Amino acid sequence: MTLAPVDYLILSLYFVFVLSIGWIVKRKVATSADFLTSGRSVPVWITSLAFIAANLGAQEVIGMCASGAKYGIMTAHFYWIGAVPAMLFVGVFMMPFYYGSRARSVPEYLKLRFDEKTRVLNAVTFAVMTVFSSGISMYALGLLFQLVMHWSFTASVLLSAAIVLIYTFLGGLTSAIYNEVLQLFLIVLGFTPLAIFAVMKSGGWNGMAGRLPEVMTHTWAHVGSASENPMGVEVFGLVAGLGFVLSFGYWCTDFLVVQRAMAAESMSAARRTPLIAAFPKLVMPFIVIVPGIAAVALSHMALGYSIPLKPGGEPDYDQTLTTLMAQFYPSGMLGLGLTALMASFMSGMAGNVTAFNTVWTYDLYQGHIRKNAPDSHYLWVGRVTTIVGVALSIGTAYLASHFNNIMDFLQLVFGFVNAPLFATFLLGMFWKRTTGHGAFAGLLAGTCAAAVTHGLTLAESKGAWLGTALHVFPSTMAQNFWIAIFAWSTCFVVTMVVSLMSVPKAESELHNLVYGLTRLPHEDVPWYKRPAPLALIVVAALVLLNVWFW
Amino acid sequence: MCGFGDMSDLRTTIGAFFVLVGAIVAVTGLAANYEAPLGSANVNLYCGVSMFIFGAVMLWLAWRKSRSSE
Repeated sequence: MTLAPVDYLILSLYFVFVLSIGWIVKRKVATSADFLTSGRSVPVWITSLAFIAANLGAQEVIGMCASGAKYGIMTAHFYWIGAVPAMLFVGVFMMPFYYGSRARSVPEYLKLRFDEKTRVLNAVTFAVMTVFSSGISMYALGLLFQLVMHWSFTASVLLSAAIVLIYTFLGGLTSAIYNEVLQLFLIVLGFTPLAIFAVMKSGGWNGMAGRLPEVMTHTWAHVGSASENPMGVEVFGLVAGLGFVLSFGYWCTDFLVVQRAMAAESMSAARRTPLIAAFPKLVMPFIVIVPGIAAVALSHMALGYSIPLKPGGEPDYDQTLTTLMAQFYPSGMLGLGLTALMASFMSGMAGNVTAFNTVWTYDLYQGHIRKNAPDSHYLWVGRVTTIVGVALSIGTAYLASHFNNIMDFLQLVFGFVNAPLFATFLLGMFWKRTTGHGAFAGLLAGTCAAAVTHGLTLAESKGAWLGTALHVFPSTMAQNFWIAIFAWSTCFVVTMVVSLMSVPKAESELHNLVYGLTRLPHEDVPWYKRPAPLALIVVAALVLLNVWFW
Repeated sequence: MCGFGDMSDLRTTIGAFFVLVGAIVAVTGLAANYEAPLGSANVNLYCGVSMFIFGAVMLWLAWRKSRSSE
């Protein structure tokens, strides 16, 4: 892919705007709360868009397009079943406790609800994970630009890291959130035309469907048994594993996304954040997944287009999106498309760095290293942590480029740690009898259960490191879903049993933290700003889409 | 005058960005005949104009907001 000067012009213009957002926002930052939590003052349309943008990194865009090409419209389950219900749940049921508790982070909520050890467990694993994801994001960016543009890996990594560092250092969370919103618009405006052109060229939805195996244009028709569909998943594993455990675990407990809603200006705005975000989330598959499906149809059409092959001979689906861009976009729009990818890599990094920052500064540094310093000290720590976070991410990116196996291993371990989390939050928020000992024991037991499940089962020759394979899954995806189900169930049961054996907190300490002991402030807002009607509209749209693409 | 962090500010920034980029892309579509292998229509012109309109709407929303808060 070769670029014309106009492409570089667009890319540079984007850099100028990103840096100036940091510069403008900087004037607003006076305290550590401004820097790390946006001082709870961000308007709801911005928090809503940032809520989904934080998750819509470039790996997501490229990966979803790749999955579209590999699995077809079934990939939309990751949005419709695997995100939207959880987003509704966090908005309607969980946000009152996150926002109402005045906690500044998810680990801090755990501290208020349970105890210090549960908070530290969550804070430390989360902090390590954010640095890891940020580094992986950089690594993927370096790799992509090396492959597509022949830029040097080091140059792309250092340039993007420097820009992220400058704007998060200047404006903190607000700056990161503002840039996420700009990036979301770039993705939408940059890739919607690609989806339209690709589908039109392949003869519209019906023309496309005619050139593809039937399974690629249906979401539910072929999930009765795992052998019928290319994902190798069956309906229970899909709904319980992806739709419940994994999705609720991510959207309801991951501080990276929850932080966006917690930055909203009022309780009502915080609750509406994920609900409003659900609307664009519902249609996102048409922008990121459908081009992948169209790509497969186009490759059957003798247009001279085909999905590139890996050295082994199997299709390299990760190149679907970039090759489509090269086919449909002339210089100009091509520059815009690449800028959108660059932007989402960078905001992926920035999101992780700002979340890392808050957890490190408030939960680990203020909680354990220096408790009662003046606020200016924590603002300073927050700024320094930004530099450290970016530096660690660069290190991780290089680690990833040299030791791919370590990265796979870490990703696996993080999966084990995350799988049981939602059981802890569910019990913590809705059962006042849950105790700190219960939560801690449940989390550890759930993580062990995840590891043991992986150790005793086999999928695509992965797992079974405990010696025997008690069960063989048709795909690693199915294996992941079932690991999550076992981890969640174990955590749920162990938390309940240990809680019943230990002494609960007094009810007076649980106000604003637990259902039944929290009074929602009455807010006089019109019906379309209330959580329940909004959620019902989303549910109706969700059902409609699923029936339509059944 | 509205403070920073007010919603009109980000609308202004986003609006300005897309007005500029839209104009650049649209002018590219008119001036140069860059072609993509499968792109049949004048992709740059159509997309550029759309982005320009989107940016202009954002700017208009920001302007309306700042007028009403005065």
